[in-house]
Amino acid sequence: MRATLPLTVLAVVAEEETYGYAIAQRLQAAGLGAVKGGTLYPVLNRLEQDELVTSSWREGAGGPGRKFFTVTPHGRAHLAERAAAWHTFTERAAGLLPSVGSPR
Amino acid sequence: MTTSTDTYRRELVQALRAGNVPPERIGEIVAEVESHVADTGEDPREAFGPARDYAAGFRRPRSRASVAASVAPTLLCALSGFFVAVGIIGLVDGEPAFGLPAWVVLAAGLVLWIPVLVSVLRQSVPVPDPRTGRWITAGPAVTAVGMSGALVAIAVACWGLAVLTS
Repeated sequence: MRATLPLTVLAVVAEEETYGYAIAQRLQAAGLGAVKGGTLYPVLNRLEQDELVTSSWREGAGGPGRKFFTVTPHGRAHLAERAAAWHTFTERAAGLLPSVGSPR
Repeated sequence: MTTSTDTYRRELVQALRAGNVPPERIGEIVAEVESHVADTGEDPREAFGPARDYAAGFRRPRSRASVAASVAPTLLCALSGFFVAVGIIGLVDGEPAFGLPAWVVLAAGLVLWIPVLVSVLRQSVPVPDPRTGRWITAGPAVTAVGMSGALVAIAVACWGLAVLTS
């Protein structure tokens, strides 16, 4: 899970401009479990440092303001490349694994 | 903001400063924590772990010059406080200190205080909140007043002690 978190977070940001809590909710809704703030923000910071996403603070409605993240063109290209590599890897790994319910 | 968030913010700022993280970056990290817990309603310690542990992930290495620059003011501060205390006790008792008139020792303590103050003011750059642009830590004036107040308190305590024991 930890190894795939940067890629899945980047994929969520690539869907639409979004903020930390919404990303955590999206990951949980996808069945990836609860991701704590202490795990999520360092990943977002790293993506920003690598210029895969950009961020900006926006005032919230009566709230303290939220940091919104947007994917960059470089981030989108990186996501496409890494996603293709991930699919290839999982297909190859699946070829070696017994299917569910098989007696192997 | 809850007391829990306030306490966490203080601890996090302190730990990030100790980890040589630049003020603008500290402001970003603190704002991320506050914004997130405002959305989730979680306790920051529960969401981000102990402040010191979370700050450790952002730590930046210090150069030797930077370490020396932080040690020297601590030594000068201790020396300044010592000279001020000895000078005041000497003045109250009407006796010389280290073979010198007590007022000379007191003056030396006060002169040593100046580089300490300058060094602390240079290091205590206030942390800006990226959401509002306001400072989330005390400005240089507050720091200077607080530190000088501490020196005056030491001087008054030494004077009181000297008067009581003489």
